[in-house]
Amino acid sequence: MQGKEIRLQGVSMRFGDFIAVHETDLTIAAGEFFSILGPSGCGKTTILRMISGFLTPTTGQVLIGGKDLTAVGPNKRPTALIFQNLALFPLMSVWENVAFGLEARGIGRRERRKRAEDLLDLVALTEHAGKKPTALSGGQRQRVAIARALAVEPSVLLLDEPLSALDLKLRQHMRAELKQIQRKTGVTFVYITHDQGEALTMSDRIAVMNAGRIEQVAPTSEIYNAPATSFVATFVGEHNVFRGRVEGLENGMAQVNTPLGRLLGMNRDDLKPGEEAMIFVRPERIGLVSQTPTLGNRLQAAVERRDLEGPYLNVFMRAGEHQIVMHMTNAGNNVSDLSGEQSVGFACEDALVLRAGELAGE
Amino acid sequence: MSSLIRSYGGVLAALFGGLTLLWIIGLIVLPQLNMIQRAFIWEARDGAAQQAGVDLERAYQKIATLDYDIRAAKRDIERGSAPSAAPSPSDPFAVSPGAPSPGGLASSETPDKRIVRLESERTELQGQINPLKERFGRLKIEEAEASGYSIKNFTTMSPLHWRIFGMTIFYAFCVTLLSFLFCYPIAYTIARTQKEIHVAFFMLGIIIPYALNELLRIFAWTMILANEGILNSALDTLGLIDLESGEAIRWLASNGAVFCVLMYTYILFMIFPMYNTIETLDKNQIEAARDLGASTWRIHSRVVIPHAKPGIAVGAIMTFMLSAGSISVPGLVGPGLHPDWFSQIIYRNFFEAGNWNIGAAQSLLLLVACTIFILIVLRFFRVGIQEIAR
Repeated sequence: MQGKEIRLQGVSMRFGDFIAVHETDLTIAAGEFFSILGPSGCGKTTILRMISGFLTPTTGQVLIGGKDLTAVGPNKRPTALIFQNLALFPLMSVWENVAFGLEARGIGRRERRKRAEDLLDLVALTEHAGKKPTALSGGQRQRVAIARALAVEPSVLLLDEPLSALDLKLRQHMRAELKQIQRKTGVTFVYITHDQGEALTMSDRIAVMNAGRIEQVAPTSEIYNAPATSFVATFVGEHNVFRGRVEGLENGMAQVNTPLGRLLGMNRDDLKPGEEAMIFVRPERIGLVSQTPTLGNRLQAAVERRDLEGPYLNVFMRAGEHQIVMHMTNAGNNVSDLSGEQSVGFACEDALVLRAGELAGE
Repeated sequence: MSSLIRSYGGVLAALFGGLTLLWIIGLIVLPQLNMIQRAFIWEARDGAAQQAGVDLERAYQKIATLDYDIRAAKRDIERGSAPSAAPSPSDPFAVSPGAPSPGGLASSETPDKRIVRLESERTELQGQINPLKERFGRLKIEEAEASGYSIKNFTTMSPLHWRIFGMTIFYAFCVTLLSFLFCYPIAYTIARTQKEIHVAFFMLGIIIPYALNELLRIFAWTMILANEGILNSALDTLGLIDLESGEAIRWLASNGAVFCVLMYTYILFMIFPMYNTIETLDKNQIEAARDLGASTWRIHSRVVIPHAKPGIAVGAIMTFMLSAGSISVPGLVGPGLHPDWFSQIIYRNFFEAGNWNIGAAQSLLLLVACTIFILIVLRFFRVGIQEIAR
């Protein structure tokens, strides 16, 4: 199996008056684990269905491996789709499910059975070959679906939130497994999800979508550390947000006047003085001034609530109109009795100043 | 039953149970048992006893006529005049009153002589009565002895009737098959239609004709298929045939016409069960099959049809039983069709020949054939009764 490059050129999709996907250019490299992340209804599934061939884009072209396949049907494309509900064939046995694609290609029964067993071996389901899918557990069914999709030796594997129905432990396990299968096979994976944890742990690169547009395409760490828009900043991971107006510039930093005072952060959008801005700070980058006296930005906040989430403590504080969330590492000593007015702060390098815009979940 | 008692109380539950039992026994079990019993009772009707009965009856009638004639002759003597009117014919079975008769020939003889002749004729007939009576009684007893439980109702069925029976089963099978081929795409299309309003239109289109009386619906077809009917007129308009020079195509009274109308009549019974099962199929399964490279044919044969099997089985069973037992369609569309359908033979045995036992035997044959068909269908589709009930 060899992964292929996917290229969307000026692709858009319109259903009647509703524009599901605005004109989009996107290139997914061969052999890449690529995730499309976004809230439900953002158009990510539409993009997936255009790549798989179930939808023909209103404008633009879909190229797979350099070939224009815009007008080619899903059964003639080198892609395989794993459905959200898996869509296993309940009346066929597990191995028949896996071998269905081979059957459709007219391969003989014995050969089919052999190749199905090889694939079931890959997903560690050899002893379940003769069972019906309904007799398997959720995770096992998941693996059958993967084996079935891989059986047709696709160059591109498209996954439509396949883990959403599993419980947490199994989900984490399947993430590792998917990643491993992807490395082993070298197939291009396009993974659709609204779960940033899934996208961050598995992907090489992520595209974050909102309202039919791709907001940012970047490697995983960049998406998290350097979100390009206010939407990405708040959709991927948590952020404390402070609104204000740019007052001054210094060394690539912007000084923003907020209701909580002047705050300094990295001027990523090259904002000019007077422009509306938002400052984003990750909860884990906020600290107590008493512990780290060098923090450049300081705030006074009252502790409202503490939630212990195992490895770290979520501290919810109030400063004027703002709620501030602080994550403190559970080192066994500092988390027990935080209360009352506290002086908290964050380094100027950890704060991100972006143009004011839409926030996720609004 | 206990849950019934819990939800409705003892009295209502007993009422429900009792009504159900009454229904099962009175409308299903007893009629069936009666039919089966009749089917195995042979009524000997070779005609000898019947003939003897008719002979006896005639002898009595002749004597009564002679008595009348004698009385008339005696009246003539009392009046002392010649016969006033032509004497009534001594043989009531003579062709017509005006025709020459034995009595008419006797008009030249004197009343006295006539009376003597008539009296001697009467005595002779009277002598025949007793042997005839004896013979009739003997034959009746013989006949009664020959009747009783036997499979003669089946074994004496004529080869022609057996052939009609076989053909009816075969035709019903063909109707079922054609009906399936015709209805499957329709059921699939409706089941896959996304917009509710379109589904509603489809359904209305299918159901509205059923608001019409079945006989009218069938009769509509005879208007379409008649020699001067709509179909031939349309062909005439298109210039394919010329009605005026008598080129009309005879559509009616053909097996094709009966086929066509049977299919139309029972289409609903095929479409609905299929629609219901196809509708429950997860759309993603069809897409998954397509995505894995399956052709349309394979998607249907491997995914849709296996899923729809219970519905197809129900549809096939209903269509088969209804068309095998249909009497109105071959009766209205196929008059003059020869051989006719088995249901028509059964009808005639019951209501025209008055031979209920043979009719019952033939009905039983049809019932057995239908039961066998159901079992074969269930086996063929590997569907259990429970699955169908679902």
